[in-house]
Amino acid sequence: MKNRADLIIYWGGNPAECHPRHFTKYTIMQKGRYIPNGRKGRTMVLVDIRETPSAKAADVFLQVRPGKDFEVLTALRAVVKGQRVDAASVADTGLSLEQLTDLANRMKACRFGVLFFGMGLSMTRGKHMNSAAALTLAAELNAFTKFVAMPMRGHGNVTGADVIMRYTTAYPFGVNLSRGYPRFNPGEFSTIDLLVRGDNDATLVLGADPGATMPQPAIRHLANTPTIVLDPKVTHTSRLAKVHITTAATGITAPGTVYRMDEIPLPLRPPLTGPYPTDEEVMRRIREAVQRKEQVAA
Amino acid sequence: MNLTVVKNATCTFCGCVCDDIELHADGTRITETKGACILGQSWFKNHTAEHLYPDALIDGKEATVDEAVDAAADILHAAHLPLVYGLSNTTCEAQREAVHLAEIVGGVIDSHTSL
Repeated sequence: MKNRADLIIYWGGNPAECHPRHFTKYTIMQKGRYIPNGRKGRTMVLVDIRETPSAKAADVFLQVRPGKDFEVLTALRAVVKGQRVDAASVADTGLSLEQLTDLANRMKACRFGVLFFGMGLSMTRGKHMNSAAALTLAAELNAFTKFVAMPMRGHGNVTGADVIMRYTTAYPFGVNLSRGYPRFNPGEFSTIDLLVRGDNDATLVLGADPGATMPQPAIRHLANTPTIVLDPKVTHTSRLAKVHITTAATGITAPGTVYRMDEIPLPLRPPLTGPYPTDEEVMRRIREAVQRKEQVAA
Repeated sequence: MNLTVVKNATCTFCGCVCDDIELHADGTRITETKGACILGQSWFKNHTAEHLYPDALIDGKEATVDEAVDAAADILHAAHLPLVYGLSNTTCEAQREAVHLAEIVGGVIDSHTSL
């Protein structure tokens, strides 16, 4: 990316405010081996529903009507393949056929394109269908040039969670182990769906604060069933939980490994030593305590 | 006061995971964050080595970690379908333990990715 990407597209994300060093450290501002002029050698396109501060950094800004990302991606895939697209139906997305054709031409003409997609794409109407459409578009562009897609990850080590679950269970998230083998079905085994339907009868929350961010029915289920929280602070979720355990803060008082969003593992170098045990230690102790109870029961 | 300087420290606030930050710490708090963005600065300065929170709480009352670990194990052992959720703001080592725990209790494990 640093050495080769001459077309960088951000879709449904606002890196200027949410990932402030993304431009300078990883993408448009970097000088690379085959991009010796840095910013001048790259084109940046921003696709979003509103003109965020990131638009100032973009060469091309495309404003999509809210909830129309899937339609835009699908029309774009057709334009890329040279299929006939009805201009009137494209207009409904907030963009014109000329804008889509221009973007498609840029995508096909670049030497190496990168499509970063944010939660503005993956968490709005269409959700994982939007992510799938973005990934399919990037895959199809490889018939013309080299093209990759990458999600813009928000929270610190959420990429690590994907990687760890993938290599231990073969699935990246929402894995049900109740039958003794892993099953994966987003929409059925994903957290919000489980909580809102009330399918699970206990919850252990680690490195998250769903009590502050989830929809009310999900929070109510967390409060009505026993919840366990491990966190460096007493959080909203801790207040409705049965058990809270204070743990060391990742990278500040706790050592370990975290994954960058491009799946590069990096070691932590904590500058402080704190009074609390690490998440790793507490999780291990809970697991050992459960195993002792199962042995007694068996 | 014991001033330490950590070069190439890793910031875990957002998914960029910048690993070129220079941190100065006085043993209790981080005093300087060279190279960090404004989100990283507030992340590093928002945590200290102080004992600001109780070690553990059970039903909102202070408890020891041993008691809380045992209470947590009771809950998970008794549950038919426990959910292990979150995993973003923690280490890979803890995530591995979380998968192991979910397997033993026959639960569902999920992260912020599913939101």
